[in-house]
Amino acid sequence: MLLGIETAAGLVGVALADADRPIAGAWLLGDRRHAEALAPAIDHVLSQAGVTLGDVDAIAVDVGPGLFTGLRVGVATAQGLAEGLGIGIVEVTSVEVLAREAYGCGWKGPVAAVVDARRGEVFVARCAGERTRVEPPSRCSPSALAEELASVPGTLVVGTGAQRYAAVFAGAGLEVGSIAEPSPRVLVEIAAGRLGTGAAPVPPAAVRPVYLREADARINWVQR
Amino acid sequence: MNVLGIETSCDETAAAVVSEGRLVRSSVVSSQIDLHARFGGVVPEIAGRAHVELLMPAVEEAMARAGIERPDAVAVTYGPGLVGSLLVGLSAAKGLAMAWRVPFVGVNHLEAHLFAPVIEEPGLTWPLVVLLVSGGHTLLVKATAPGRYRLLGQTLDDAAGEAFDKVARYLGLGYPGGPAIDLVAKEGDSSAFSFPRAMLDEGYDFSFSGLKTSVVRTVERHPSASTPDVAASFQEAVVDVLLTKAARAVRAVGARGLCLGGGVAANSLLRRRAPEAVDVPTYLPSMTMCTDNAAMVAAAGTFRLAHDGPSPLSLAVDPNLFLDFSEPAG
Ligand SMILES: [Zn+2]
Repeated sequence: MLLGIETAAGLVGVALADADRPIAGAWLLGDRRHAEALAPAIDHVLSQAGVTLGDVDAIAVDVGPGLFTGLRVGVATAQGLAEGLGIGIVEVTSVEVLAREAYGCGWKGPVAAVVDARRGEVFVARCAGERTRVEPPSRCSPSALAEELASVPGTLVVGTGAQRYAAVFAGAGLEVGSIAEPSPRVLVEIAAGRLGTGAAPVPPAAVRPVYLREADARINWVQR
Repeated sequence: MNVLGIETSCDETAAAVVSEGRLVRSSVVSSQIDLHARFGGVVPEIAGRAHVELLMPAVEEAMARAGIERPDAVAVTYGPGLVGSLLVGLSAAKGLAMAWRVPFVGVNHLEAHLFAPVIEEPGLTWPLVVLLVSGGHTLLVKATAPGRYRLLGQTLDDAAGEAFDKVARYLGLGYPGGPAIDLVAKEGDSSAFSFPRAMLDEGYDFSFSGLKTSVVRTVERHPSASTPDVAASFQEAVVDVLLTKAARAVRAVGARGLCLGGGVAANSLLRRRAPEAVDVPTYLPSMTMCTDNAAMVAAAGTFRLAHDGPSPLSLAVDPNLFLDFSEPAG
């Protein structure tokens, strides 16, 4: 049994997979309340599926890129669960989840998974086709990306960044898909598939969010 | 009853196991001082990232040193503090408690500091006045018993430790400022400059931002002033204000002891002067119990669990969490 945690964007999502088949899930748009919603959601999904944490063999978590605070809530929760259960973690990136969902919906051409990075930027990873690996993600401006992608005809752009800058991408002649937030169901599918091909989960202490941006070095003189 | 405590409210990543609310079986603190030093203060995003990397190793080490496979409860700081840092500890603590099927309890960081003397001093005489001074907090609290507090006063602007950090940075002494100033002040004349003691005769509240400004102005006016003299005079002014108000509080509430806590309680002048300032016993926690640690969180969590029961899994962080001051004044 595999438990998946998705908090890289606005969504708080949980899914369970048995072998390679998703069997239960729940999600809500967390409105930045990831830390309050996630643990009860895990509890709910497990009890609805009649599964206990003792049945879980690995935890899958979206390590980003995405919103830093959400990522840390998901990763830290996954770390705590895996550490307590003595099991490993499967790291999945947000852009893999987005691209895989696009192909799951029947798209045949190239896909650009675009995640909103705030401050006028996006995280992006491209994938040439369903059987091709998703490229490693990077950070760029939406307009530069739109220009670049326009040279690859028939690219579908998906993700929260695609939604936010839909006008920019559409203006460059690109097709903007309706997929916005990474899906917890697709996340566990990817992780289950990876475990099925013999990939080993990593120890909880070794999991690292994918930030793709230097820490904002502003001092906070805490007032308490 | 073994409680695993987790503390990530600021720039220390800490885990500890405490038995029966006071026996420290293990206490691990991974300091991030090196990561923040070049900025001269705590950078929230850097702290949040570091907690994710440091927390599981700290938990593993705390559990291994305590020699247990699974605690009977998990206690974690849920405020006050930096929101991005608090979230890491809270999320991990929920995950651990769910996996181990043990109760989970949220702890107020300020209350945790008040449990440091409970751990270290078997002969505490209540009621106590607690002077809690660090980079994040400056509070005077009356504690009638564990869990029963009343806020007497607090800082209206900078925390005492923050004043140390800012003045140290201005004097080019590095970060953290407390130990740096403490060290050079030993070579200086504390009567060289007369810095202001804000609101010395008024109530129990503090203000340190004017003092910092005064240090800057003095150095501008006397560019050749000796740094040790400035540091010693500044430190003298801070300690004078802290202890004058603490001593007044001790007399006013009829306290039977004065207790120091927080990182500034490691200051050598404050530790030397405190027993002279009051005629009741003074409790000076060890250096490791003054600064942020998870043993005090586990101890406070043990108390809260017995008193209020476990916290819900939906518990949120509260960066501005306050103490529940249910105790009447006087
Ligand atoms: Zn503290």
